[in-house]
Amino acid sequence: MSNQGNIELGDIHWLMDILQNIDVGLVVMDSEYRIQLWNGFMESHSGLSPQVAKGENLFKLFPDIPETWFREKCQPVFQLKTRTFTIWEQRPYLFHFKNYRPITGRATFMYQNTAIIPLESISRSIDHICVIIYDVTDIAINRRDHELQLAAIQPGRDTPSCSASIIAPAIPAASALEVTNKPEPAAPDITAHQIKPQATETIESAVIVRDRHSWDDTLNRQLARCARSEQPGCLVCLQIDNNSSHYDESLLALFNRSLRQSDTAYHCDDLLFALLDNSDAGDARFFAERVRKAIKRLGDHYSVSIGIAPYIDEFESGEDWQLAAEEALLQARHQGLDCNQVFEP
Amino acid sequence: MAINVLICDDSSFARKQMARAIPPEWEVTVHFAGDGVEGVQAIREGKGEVVFLDLTMPNMDGYGVLEAIRKEDLPAMVIVVSGDIQPDAQQRVMALGAMAFIKKPIDADKARAVLTDYGIMVRA
Amino acid sequence: MNTASPTVTLSDDQRDCYQELTNVAMGQAADRLARLLGEYVVLPIPRVNLIESSDLRMALEGYGEDSSVSAVCQGFIGSGIAGEALLVFNDTSFKDLARLTRREQDLTHNGQLELLMDVSSLLIGACIQGIGEQLEVHFNQGHPVVLGQHCNVRDILKAGNELWTKTLAIEIHYTMESVNVDCDLLLLFTEDSVLRLNQKIDYLLD
Repeated sequence: MSNQGNIELGDIHWLMDILQNIDVGLVVMDSEYRIQLWNGFMESHSGLSPQVAKGENLFKLFPDIPETWFREKCQPVFQLKTRTFTIWEQRPYLFHFKNYRPITGRATFMYQNTAIIPLESISRSIDHICVIIYDVTDIAINRRDHELQLAAIQPGRDTPSCSASIIAPAIPAASALEVTNKPEPAAPDITAHQIKPQATETIESAVIVRDRHSWDDTLNRQLARCARSEQPGCLVCLQIDNNSSHYDESLLALFNRSLRQSDTAYHCDDLLFALLDNSDAGDARFFAERVRKAIKRLGDHYSVSIGIAPYIDEFESGEDWQLAAEEALLQARHQGLDCNQVFEP
Repeated sequence: MAINVLICDDSSFARKQMARAIPPEWEVTVHFAGDGVEGVQAIREGKGEVVFLDLTMPNMDGYGVLEAIRKEDLPAMVIVVSGDIQPDAQQRVMALGAMAFIKKPIDADKARAVLTDYGIMVRA
Repeated sequence: MNTASPTVTLSDDQRDCYQELTNVAMGQAADRLARLLGEYVVLPIPRVNLIESSDLRMALEGYGEDSSVSAVCQGFIGSGIAGEALLVFNDTSFKDLARLTRREQDLTHNGQLELLMDVSSLLIGACIQGIGEQLEVHFNQGHPVVLGQHCNVRDILKAGNELWTKTLAIEIHYTMESVNVDCDLLLLFTEDSVLRLNQKIDYLLD
């Protein structure tokens, strides 16, 4: 880029082609955070055309971008002409883009690193910045896999979150089915949430699902059941902040013990999902509070953000439902530590 | 008569850069000092009517030199030339009696501007 | 990999010149940090040395065996000169850093990561740019990598490669005047970059 003197006018449309086709996101904004350039990558993943994006305020167009946080990252770029960077470990993504790879994609969303660079005007002042978005999903998932392997080799170690695995239930499913009068575990005393009286008999035995595809199946089946029977159903999404970036085994077991047999749990990256059968938003809140209390008992440094998405007819697929729950989670996080948020379409 | 100018910096490269930045039309005799202690000694000997002073130096730093000049009431006009460009550093040296502050890296334009602004060097 | 490169050397004049270039660059970095934190940053005299890969640990010997540190690494490259910047924070720094940036509510693991990233963007970016400007080299920066949080210095360096034998290391130890914040910035160039750097330096020394 330092050889801009070499670029001739005829080359500009080449450059435009490259800009459109390069597999990184490029967003140019002015000091009011109005979008000035929106390349093909951004268009493809967001579904918003450059015509729509241009001139729009970033935070209005993408209300789930944490404004204060992002402004903090951009200010040094405007004021000090310095480049700033964010990595997925800080925040998994800046723009919430769905996983777009049905075969090789194992995450629900695209992990992103970003670089924010100053763009000098002719008068050498910084009136614009460029945000470069890199898809680092593979790196993030591989890291998690690697940590999971390490944890398997060294059982004493903190178990990190797995990339896309279903939590093993506290007890094997086969025996779970036989449970009738099993005493509740003594401590921690989180047990099945008593949502509906009939559920109390089947304590601590979530259904085993093996992988993401099974999870998608389960979600889609539940969706169909809710649509057919007009029974309520809720998808709860939890994110736990603690001193380690991983969820250790005791935490996962605790979460699992809070589920009924008819519920399904799914652990993907740093998100925990619980699909609650025959439960409305109120039931889900009750469940959420119990899980949070139990986790907080492990230590004050834990905080639990929870998003709740009750089934609505507008969901056309399990994926819609999951995104709604993640959306609610993001809103909960914006409210502060230890918040719940019910999805509102 | 040529004015005695002292360049006080621990880096020989910085001393050389400073010497190069002195406007050629200014009639001076240039002396050098490699740290604060040498610098104060040179000023006592009258070699520092105008002093270009670095701040970060071993033995005695630039602040020490400014304090010594004030304490002994030495006749020196001090221009601090420093890489420490924090507002705090600039305020401190001005409070200690420095006449001007130039941000490193130094060049002839910066030096000429300050020297004429403060009337130290009269344009020919 | 460079094959049969001439041995890397460093004369006194060259060392002095590197020191001065660093001095100016780290001053610019300190100025930005001071503006962020509202506190005066103490500027030390940078150390410039040719070191062997086995000496790398000694460069960070100030940290005791049991002190807990967090570290970020970032690569840079321009005009055939490449290297990495390593910023090591004493974990005791985070309390005051959080206070000065008005984020004391958020001293979680993630909150500390945010601080680590913000300060390293600032310090590494300014230093690299500052040195680049003086050498008239535009350095591109890679993405920062967190080498570890709350770990031992030894663990941080364990991951390093041992392919190089001798290279140029510039060490800056930043402290703050009235608060408990200290960190080390280490600039390490690849072996074959040092020859190019030396050429640039010799040109300046002429």
